Amino acid sequence: MARFILHRLGHSLLLLFLVSLIGYTILHLAPGGPLSQYALSPGMTQAELNQIAERMGLNRPIPIQYLDWFTSFLVGDWGESFRDGRPVLSVISGHLFATVLLVVSSSVISIGLGTLVGVLGATRRYSAWDYIATVGAMIALSIPTFWFGLVAIYVFSLQLDWFPSGNMYSIGDESFLDYAHHLVMPSVVLALVSVAIWSRYMRSAMLDVIGQDFVRTARAKGLTGQRVLYRHVVRNALIPMITLAGIQLPMLLSGALVTETVFTWPGIGRLFLDSLGYNDYPVIMGVLMFTAIFVLLGNLIADILVATVDPRVRLE
Amino acid sequence: MAAATEQIQTNSKLRFFESRTLRRFVRHRLAITGLVMIVGIGILCVVGPWLLPHDMLDINIRDRFSPPLTDTFIMGTDEMGRDLAARLFMAGRVSLMVGIAAMILSTLIGTVIGLVAGYFGKVTGTVLMRLTDSFLCFPQIFLLLTLAAFLEPNAFMITLIIAVTSWMEVARIVSAEIRSLRERDFITAARISGASHRWIMFRELLPNTIGPIIVAATLTIAKAILLEAYVSFLGYGIQPPMPSWGNMLNNAQQFLDTAPWLAIIPGIAITAAVTSFNFIGDGLRDALDARSDAQ
Amino acid sequence: MTTSKTTNLNRRNFLKTGTAGLTLLMSGVAGSRLAAQDASGQVIIGFSQEPTVLHPHMPHIEVDEGVHFNLFDPLFTVNSDGDFVPALATEVPTVENGGVSEDGLKWRVKLREGVTWHDGEPFTAEDVKFTIELQQNPNFSAMRRTGHELVRNIEVVNDHEITWEMESPFAPYASILSWTFIVPAHILADAEDPNQTDFRNSPVGTGAFSFGERVAGNYIQLNANPDWWGDGPYLETVIFRYIPDMTVLYTQFRTGDIDVIGLQGIQFDRFEQAKQLDDREVVITQASTVESISFNLGKPQFQDPAVREALYYALDKTTIVDAIYYGIPEPTESFLPKGSSYFHEDLPKSEYNLEKAKQILDEAGWVPGDDGVRVKDGVRLAFKNSTTAGNSVREQTQQFIQQDFAEIGVEMEISNLPPAVMWGEYWQMSEFDTAMVGIVYTTGPDPDVSNYFHSTAISAQGGAGQNTWQYKNETVDELLEEGASLFVQEERKTIYNKLQEVVREDLPFLPIFQYANLRGHKAGLEGFDPNVNVRIETWNVGEWRWA
Repeated sequence: MARFILHRLGHSLLLLFLVSLIGYTILHLAPGGPLSQYALSPGMTQAELNQIAERMGLNRPIPIQYLDWFTSFLVGDWGESFRDGRPVLSVISGHLFATVLLVVSSSVISIGLGTLVGVLGATRRYSAWDYIATVGAMIALSIPTFWFGLVAIYVFSLQLDWFPSGNMYSIGDESFLDYAHHLVMPSVVLALVSVAIWSRYMRSAMLDVIGQDFVRTARAKGLTGQRVLYRHVVRNALIPMITLAGIQLPMLLSGALVTETVFTWPGIGRLFLDSLGYNDYPVIMGVLMFTAIFVLLGNLIADILVATVDPRVRLE
Repeated sequence: MAAATEQIQTNSKLRFFESRTLRRFVRHRLAITGLVMIVGIGILCVVGPWLLPHDMLDINIRDRFSPPLTDTFIMGTDEMGRDLAARLFMAGRVSLMVGIAAMILSTLIGTVIGLVAGYFGKVTGTVLMRLTDSFLCFPQIFLLLTLAAFLEPNAFMITLIIAVTSWMEVARIVSAEIRSLRERDFITAARISGASHRWIMFRELLPNTIGPIIVAATLTIAKAILLEAYVSFLGYGIQPPMPSWGNMLNNAQQFLDTAPWLAIIPGIAITAAVTSFNFIGDGLRDALDARSDAQ
Repeated sequence: MTTSKTTNLNRRNFLKTGTAGLTLLMSGVAGSRLAAQDASGQVIIGFSQEPTVLHPHMPHIEVDEGVHFNLFDPLFTVNSDGDFVPALATEVPTVENGGVSEDGLKWRVKLREGVTWHDGEPFTAEDVKFTIELQQNPNFSAMRRTGHELVRNIEVVNDHEITWEMESPFAPYASILSWTFIVPAHILADAEDPNQTDFRNSPVGTGAFSFGERVAGNYIQLNANPDWWGDGPYLETVIFRYIPDMTVLYTQFRTGDIDVIGLQGIQFDRFEQAKQLDDREVVITQASTVESISFNLGKPQFQDPAVREALYYALDKTTIVDAIYYGIPEPTESFLPKGSSYFHEDLPKSEYNLEKAKQILDEAGWVPGDDGVRVKDGVRLAFKNSTTAGNSVREQTQQFIQQDFAEIGVEMEISNLPPAVMWGEYWQMSEFDTAMVGIVYTTGPDPDVSNYFHSTAISAQGGAGQNTWQYKNETVDELLEEGASLFVQEERKTIYNKLQEVVREDLPFLPIFQYANLRGHKAGLEGFDPNVNVRIETWNVGEWRWA
């Protein structure tokens, strides 16, 4: 097991290196620079901009800049934001809570709802319910998240005034209920896309398991339908979902970025978009690396979990 | 000689397989619904602009924000007084074209990488698959926006960056398929008979992976349309006056409370098109899945 | 409810300058402490951009200044009438009061006594010296060096008096000083690298408010400074809340989650609706930014003045302003803002006349080619127009103009770019064809525009400045040089009137309108006083109070 984990870890680290190389190259080959935001300030001149660039080390060759960045990165120094000079790690951690809150609550909604829809679909296959659920989930998967967010704001904030149209809490009232009130719309909107994915996997995983011998055996032993279903089928069907959860992470983060921008949610996605607008390279790189680590870690944990549950995997 | 017979056999197998697939696909009610929908949308987008009395570029600032069904403006007018219907159909052409072109490009990239990686294995394969994996580590939108934020936005560029950020899934599928096919008898036979690598890859292996590629490609169109919409929505995509479903929403957002139809109509168009492709993709997957017979 | 800024605020201004005069008399006596003790309540100000750089001299953006103004004080500030008002200085140095010598070369400033920094240290002339020298420090990434570069021989006479000399007379320096926030020498002087200090995130000033906390991506909180030298503050806390979406910003203003809607403000199409809101005051505020279509005169199409003139005739300003901008800003012909004492009232008014435009082009020898686009000497009258991608109002304007230009045989392609690309070298080094851009030409209330129009300010030609049009005119150069060296307003006025006429004639850019913004606050908030001479409306929160 230890060898397996070490192997996967080494693999992840290699990927991380590649990720940093790709990210850095894309970012720095592009035209424009972090100083353009000051260009329209009264009294600013190109000569001064050049001086600032030199002091920031932006006029060195890109490979040198990359090496410099990467060696610092390895020792845990992710650089400082071009915008406010704060360490990138502290900038990211300042936005982390909001994203985690959003992602976790939407996952709870989507996994719960997805499992329910999937289980019902598998047990009542080809019923009207199964059909409606499948079609509904598929349509939900096809709705552009940002547009759905806009419509939700239009209906539930502007017209009905049920929920706030943005932000994570009201200043002065930071109670649990206040957070929850702000959380409803963004987390439901974000969850909607993944419900379809969860329910589809759950349904087919269930169908796989139902067809297997041990279920038939259990039935033959005289166990009731309900018990077979929950003791054996659902539990075994959940195993592939662990892997899926790992694979789903990048998609979930993408979705979170979109949702955060629509609902002005102060998370990583919002930070990323703001930083892009300012060409704040250290923060953009930081967020890219951070999400990559997050994704790799998610996959690693999923791999280990699956290997723990199913020893055959380790032999591969 | 042996290779040739094998070839004929696989080809006939392929044809048989395809016809059965076709039958299954036709039986799949959702897939047919999707197909009908997308053909309908396609026809509307192509023919629609000719049938309407207004040009999509005609600015008539005094008639702006007319709600749907005002005079000949069946979907109303936008913030510049242009006919929303004409713009919607033209936008449909653009968005669908971008979606399809991005699909073709990304499928091409993905297939070649997957094919090479799966066939050669060893160093080449490992390097290519690690590259694929590392691209997969980025949440797609993050990568897409990073590229979009720095490149001159136009339809071609958007297509390109969507393709560059969405080929990985196809590559993975293809390489997995190839690896399982590589050691099969007919490939070994082809190799012994001295067929070139290229012949084996493109004539022997590729035809056998076409099914999963088609499924992935269909779903990629759906994703590409959504991505184009989002990037254009943020203003980094298709530039006006050329409309796309995404940039129509960019302008509409501002008028959400005064002219909601400007946001609702293009959104429904996107959803309808994407749903169609997802239905078709789902149908294809079921049709190609050998198990679905057993079930 | 709406209040026209000019009628309603004049009385308030009068009161304010009155009290300012009073505190001036009592300077040294801690007379203002009484007022500060009643500081109560809080104001939440919504901004659609996030203030991040709290060091006032490091490169920063507009919105950051909204915070700087309340943390720091300059020597003297400029009020909404364009008059200088003493802040850390006891009086504004002028030739009349002897603060500036006749030739403009020697300056003497007396400083307020009894002022302390937020950390309790006394404020002295050393701080002023340090601040000016910081702008000259070649190792420091200064936001603006203009003017400060000319300062020589700074001498601290005593704790409350400072003198310096100028290398050459430079009239705009007073305006520059009104923007130069004094920073504490006792904290910053010892820094090894002036760019790397904690000061950026925990600033210490002399202003009406001291730094409280910052929650990144969310808000910045300032707390009342009970020891402020001025009349105030009347609020206990001020919160700058970052709300990046205009719809959300407005909704929160409507529901009362924010008390003041600041930078970017209310979208124009919501004006009618916003006016109807109960207990909210919506104000049209003038800004000194002028929106224009700027030409790159380095491109062959635009070297012919006839082209520029013809395009100006094809520009339907009235419709743009009335329809796309809801009639809120005012069309303009000058680069100076109305309200500046140097604004030229009688510049020729532009006229929308497509026939005239065609005629001018015909006469200049631009003949329509096969595709309808005019050509002369092998040069097609076709160009790109660029601006920040995603700015939908500007995109509407572009599309509107595009149609009229096409009508006269000119092909304009819209090619908008992400901000980082648009305003990078593409703009700075004159790589664009035409741009739709809003520029603040003036330095505070000063009309000096050398940085924009002088022929030595063309970055693309090795100059230092923002003359991105690559505009060269000897008369303009002479006028600019003369204007910057004169200290008497009447004499300067003649110069700048002439300058405005020449630029209007040459049309390096087509002026469209002067910016106006919609701002709003809850009824009962007093002291909100938009000021065309600064870049942001939260320049005087120290004077705000709840009725």
